[in-house]
Amino acid sequence: MVFASEAAVKLRGVAKRYADIVAVDHVDLDVKHGEIFGLLGPNGSGKTTTLKMILALIKPDYGSVNVLGIKAEDDPVAVKRQVGYVPESPRLYEFLTGLEYLDFVGDIYGLDTSEKKTRIEEYLEAMELEGREGDMISSYSQGMKQKIALISAFLHKPKLLLLDEPLSGLDPRSARIVKDFLRKLTAQGVTTIMSTHILEIAQAMCDRIAIMYEGRLLALGDMKELRRKARLPGSDLEDIFLKLTGTEDIRAVVEALLK
Amino acid sequence: MNWKNVLRLINVDIKSGRLIRGKKLRRYRERRTFQYLLYGGAFVLGIVIGLGVGIVYNAVPDPQVKTLVEQGVRLLFLSFPTMVLLYSLVFTTMSQIQRMGVKSSIQLPYWLPITWEEHTLASTVAHLIGFPLASVILFSSAIATVSIYLETTHLAVLTIFALVASAFLASTTTEIFRVLQVRLIGAVYKSSGKAALWVRFFGSLLFLIAFYIVWFSLTSGGSSIALIEMLAGAQQAVWFVPYVWLGMALASFMNGMLAQTVIFSLASLLFILVLFYGAVKLNARFGLYEPPAITVSRGAYVPKVGFLGKLGFSSLEAALIRKDFKAFTRRRELMYIFITPLVVLLVPLMQYLGIYGGPVPPGASRFLSAWVLLAPGALMAVMLGTMIIGEEGGSVWLFFSSPITARSLVKSKYAFIIIFSCIVMLVCGVVGILISRPSPEITIALLIESVLLIFALGAVSLGAGIKGADFTEVPRPRMVRPLTAIVYSLFCLVLALAIFSPLLLYAVTAGYIPVTVVHIPASVFLPKIDLYIAVSISAVIALVVTFVFFKIALKNAKEFLIKAEI
Repeated sequence: MVFASEAAVKLRGVAKRYADIVAVDHVDLDVKHGEIFGLLGPNGSGKTTTLKMILALIKPDYGSVNVLGIKAEDDPVAVKRQVGYVPESPRLYEFLTGLEYLDFVGDIYGLDTSEKKTRIEEYLEAMELEGREGDMISSYSQGMKQKIALISAFLHKPKLLLLDEPLSGLDPRSARIVKDFLRKLTAQGVTTIMSTHILEIAQAMCDRIAIMYEGRLLALGDMKELRRKARLPGSDLEDIFLKLTGTEDIRAVVEALLK
Repeated sequence: MNWKNVLRLINVDIKSGRLIRGKKLRRYRERRTFQYLLYGGAFVLGIVIGLGVGIVYNAVPDPQVKTLVEQGVRLLFLSFPTMVLLYSLVFTTMSQIQRMGVKSSIQLPYWLPITWEEHTLASTVAHLIGFPLASVILFSSAIATVSIYLETTHLAVLTIFALVASAFLASTTTEIFRVLQVRLIGAVYKSSGKAALWVRFFGSLLFLIAFYIVWFSLTSGGSSIALIEMLAGAQQAVWFVPYVWLGMALASFMNGMLAQTVIFSLASLLFILVLFYGAVKLNARFGLYEPPAITVSRGAYVPKVGFLGKLGFSSLEAALIRKDFKAFTRRRELMYIFITPLVVLLVPLMQYLGIYGGPVPPGASRFLSAWVLLAPGALMAVMLGTMIIGEEGGSVWLFFSSPITARSLVKSKYAFIIIFSCIVMLVCGVVGILISRPSPEITIALLIESVLLIFALGAVSLGAGIKGADFTEVPRPRMVRPLTAIVYSLFCLVLALAIFSPLLLYAVTAGYIPVTVVHIPASVFLPKIDLYIAVSISAVIALVVTFVFFKIALKNAKEFLIKAEI
């Protein structure tokens, strides 16, 4: 079922359980077109499950997920065609070279041969992988593998990017390139939803941020709105995050660890 | 050495079997009964065999026959250590080949307080888990039971010690082989440049061929009894080879030469220690060695214009087929699938050429050509089908996150199975035809049958492979749940017989196979069948099977892509 939608991603009453664990607890969320949206939360708060439901990888138990006007449940393949995804620890085909892997992904998304060639060469140059593209991925460092995973997500020019810890393992220069590139994509109308634990990155990059805790959405908005909700004017995202998730009292934990 | 660390590491290896897709890991409850079923079964079987031999021994009234049984049992005791050594070498080597491609937790000693001694010992013992350990238990329980009847308890105790030591010796040798081959492969990569991949592929195949030729030559005669006879005789001749010293110690003990028994036992112990510490030193030196990168291409990127596209595959399907082709020629842990067609080809060929087994019976060439033309391709289709989804391992996330439909997935995987199996069939078939020279008519009929088998069994096993996929990669890729693989392999065998039965009927009625060979009583009327009709009936059966199981594979693929919660 396809229908017009103002928000790029629309979640309504979405819930997901794994046996007796509630991974996502009736979440309502709208992500606007062309914004960088940060999804924050402690480990096990439901961020990755939410991302996977948006990608139509996981079917929600309740509620609906609408991505770029497509109901995810009805046509998951159509959703995947529009989305670029980088999982938290991407496992690549280590027996392929970087070039072969990107060629493979390009073919999976049905890219035209000349377009594929141009894009692959551009991205390899931008990510400074030139000279190593013909080597098997098994010999790549973690950061190089992350770069290949990022390029494979960007390659088909998706309208929505779902990035789980996208800058993990990248050197500062490559991280900066990715950040600037994401901002440029935003200007072109591409929506990005990223999950990260590096709060400085989230604060610097995201237009809006959602903080999840135990599967629920605790707070949502830009930095100004988050500060107001946390009643912490002038504070940074770390303080807001710790206060909202009720984990700010870390002194006792540190002291216990020191014993 | 911290023995608890060793046990913990071995335990990790045993527990790796838990990581099967779909298994709930929370509140995991170990089913120890099932886990130890293989060993318990081997133990019980050993006792039953021992009791059987013992009862026969007691029941025999003739003292001459009694002496013969006694001599036979002693011969068995004598050759068991070397036999266990050989079997353990084969199984641990195969296990290592499967592990090679996976960068498992081998770097653990690097950051955890585990010494190389502990790591090497754990690794050596862990390789024995499974069939080698089960065979040691089987032989030991049989020996112990028999010895009660034959009153050879002392010899039995010594034999059991020798068995355990032999298994350990084999595993330590494999450990050394593993470390050395990692270093050697590094040197090969460096020197062969772009050709490294093909050097590795053909090198691996050559290794497997050499390994099996040695193995089959050693087990000449095909039966374990022949092996035992051969070992008992050969041990004496090659007494200077340290690997037979355990057997020599037993032989000396049997002959009442205590001094020699002690010398060979101590020498064996020393040899095991030297090998073990050699493995430790090699592990410490090369255990963390990373072979240099394989550079496959340099220069301008030229995207491949698809030949597969011309065959009607979409770019997505063609990409999946190309990727799988690279996987099966580049991933070392997948190369073991070539073992089956190699064995299927080598055994009858060696038999036919007189390298292995007894004299060739008249008319054997007919069977050889039929077997070599039919079996390798069909077996390859079954093996590929069951493992083709599970081989994706952790990289399977890409399937779930990219726009791959169930139809594309099944179509591309099925096409790969067919193409790859047909290549194997042709390569093996050409060798078989050149040697046994069947008539053109029979050659064509067998080729058609083989293709039919590949199509039908490929569809059946693909459906099973999707349903029973196991993405565990550490310590070795599992690819398919063992129960699924066993059940579907048996099912494929039944289907293969059903598809092949019209041609079999033709072969019997046309006199290609004597009625006595297939054990059909003369009173049973066998209708004569024309070759073309036989092949046509086979084709109909195969097409029905293919159609039904392709649909099942599609259904399984749909479920598989929906249930992406790995």
